[in-house]
Amino acid sequence: MAEATEQHAGTRRRSGDPWPPVRTGVGAWWRDHLRIARETVHFVSARLGTSLLVWLLVGIALALPAGLYLIERNLSGMTAAWEGRPGLTAYFELGANEQQIRAVVDVLEKDRAVADVSVTSPDQALAEFRRYTDLADALDLLESNPLPASLKATLAPGVETAVLDPLLDRVGSLPGVAEVVLEKTWLERVSDISSVVSRLGVILGLLFGTGALLVTATSVRLAIEARLEELKVLKLIGATERQMRRPFLYFGAFYGLGGGLLAAMLISLCLLIVEAPLSNLLGSYDQELHLAGFDAVFLGGLLTIGALLGVLGALVAARQRINDLEIL
Amino acid sequence: MAQIEFHGVTKRFDSGQEALVNVDVSFAEGSMAFLTGHSGAGKSTFLKLLLCLDQPSRGQILVNGVNVTRMNGRRLAHYRQHLGAVFQDHHLLGHRSVFDNVSLPLRITGMKEKDIARRVRAALSRVGLLEKERLYPRYLSTGEQQRVGIARAVVNRPKILLADEPTGNLDPELSRDIMKLFEQFNQVGTTVIVASHDRDLIESMGLRIIELDQGAVIRDGVNTRLDPPVREDADG
Repeated sequence: MAEATEQHAGTRRRSGDPWPPVRTGVGAWWRDHLRIARETVHFVSARLGTSLLVWLLVGIALALPAGLYLIERNLSGMTAAWEGRPGLTAYFELGANEQQIRAVVDVLEKDRAVADVSVTSPDQALAEFRRYTDLADALDLLESNPLPASLKATLAPGVETAVLDPLLDRVGSLPGVAEVVLEKTWLERVSDISSVVSRLGVILGLLFGTGALLVTATSVRLAIEARLEELKVLKLIGATERQMRRPFLYFGAFYGLGGGLLAAMLISLCLLIVEAPLSNLLGSYDQELHLAGFDAVFLGGLLTIGALLGVLGALVAARQRINDLEIL
Repeated sequence: MAQIEFHGVTKRFDSGQEALVNVDVSFAEGSMAFLTGHSGAGKSTFLKLLLCLDQPSRGQILVNGVNVTRMNGRRLAHYRQHLGAVFQDHHLLGHRSVFDNVSLPLRITGMKEKDIARRVRAALSRVGLLEKERLYPRYLSTGEQQRVGIARAVVNRPKILLADEPTGNLDPELSRDIMKLFEQFNQVGTTVIVASHDRDLIESMGLRIIELDQGAVIRDGVNTRLDPPVREDADG
């Protein structure tokens, strides 16, 4: 019966294969995908309450590591944008003379940890004060310049501020020195926090990513159980395992995409809530708030990761259940 | 040449119980036959093995010369696309309409909607349910549900149609109607094998009857009510 090509029941039979797949022309694969996408939308919308819960769970699981990523990125950006390296500032007593200032400069310039030293005289300090404040008229009322001389030392690259304690002690004990301040230590702390947040983000990303995967896998497993009878019929009438898995992979992708979208909304909401106080906080350190990272690439990445996790979870759930399916 | 051949097929379950014992039967292309016997005689196992829902413990099942017991994966799925199967409990999907239930075998092939509609309506017309295509199975009588099951089994125009107790829940008149349907499909070239314990009904059809008892074939022929229990070469 299979000697020559034979047309029967919409089936093209070729020599050597008595049971060829029933093909129905070009576009069959696409039509099948389109049908499944439609059915998935219908299934998800018919169970909107459950779907919303799944989206929320996946969304929260994705929002936490994604939010940490944003925080880490902004903290890194903040410390990277900071011009210069850590340094120290020495404030002299009001009566400090040239020799005393010179002695401090010498000590600092001889130290390998210091790259550069610049001195600000009392007159220069007063000029700067006039320039940056509205108190010029008040200063005119004073008989003498109330501002001391100061110097700023920039540290050499790679110098850890932790090893500067002996230098600070030495400079602080020199005559005419009122106070020595190690500058911008808060930014270094921010940098440390950024590293912690970064590592925390990776750990939480793995944990919550696994959580999102398991949530999707469980939801898909429930969807499989709800459609068990249909799967049995599909297997009986000749659906391939790939065809039987396909609807559930779509479920996974839908749940993942919805979760990603919800995660983006949650992060957006959080940013709205913290924007004003964060802006005030940064303003107190002469920094402006420029939230970086929450852009189209971030959103695309979030949705893609969500969809991939969803598909992966669905694959885990569907593979085992469909393989073990007993029809009758 | 036989289309379906059972060669020394034995099915032994893990419990040790033998559902089929050394069965040797064959069916010619376009033939129709009944499998009968008491409950547990092996009728359903026979059909299950033919549908590759289970594997024989020993022996071969050839369909168009191919040993189907060794098939798996996509090849097995493609083989099943060429079979039609009807069951006593219909296996209809309650959340899908009559039309959608019948269209399932066509949808998995990716057929175009207009072709699906044409083929489904033709199948429903054959079983007399064209006007009920929009209804859900729960609104149909048992006989109508069975006819929907038959329409789904034949909508893909299978070469082989298998039915396991298709009249089990039906009254005698409806049962005869269902059997007539199978006969009609057989008349257009489909090989039909029907498992039924309703001896009166199947003997009235005057077709080949294979009787099983404790997994073994004890009769194989036409009008077995009159014939002594002998085996004969089976070709339908």
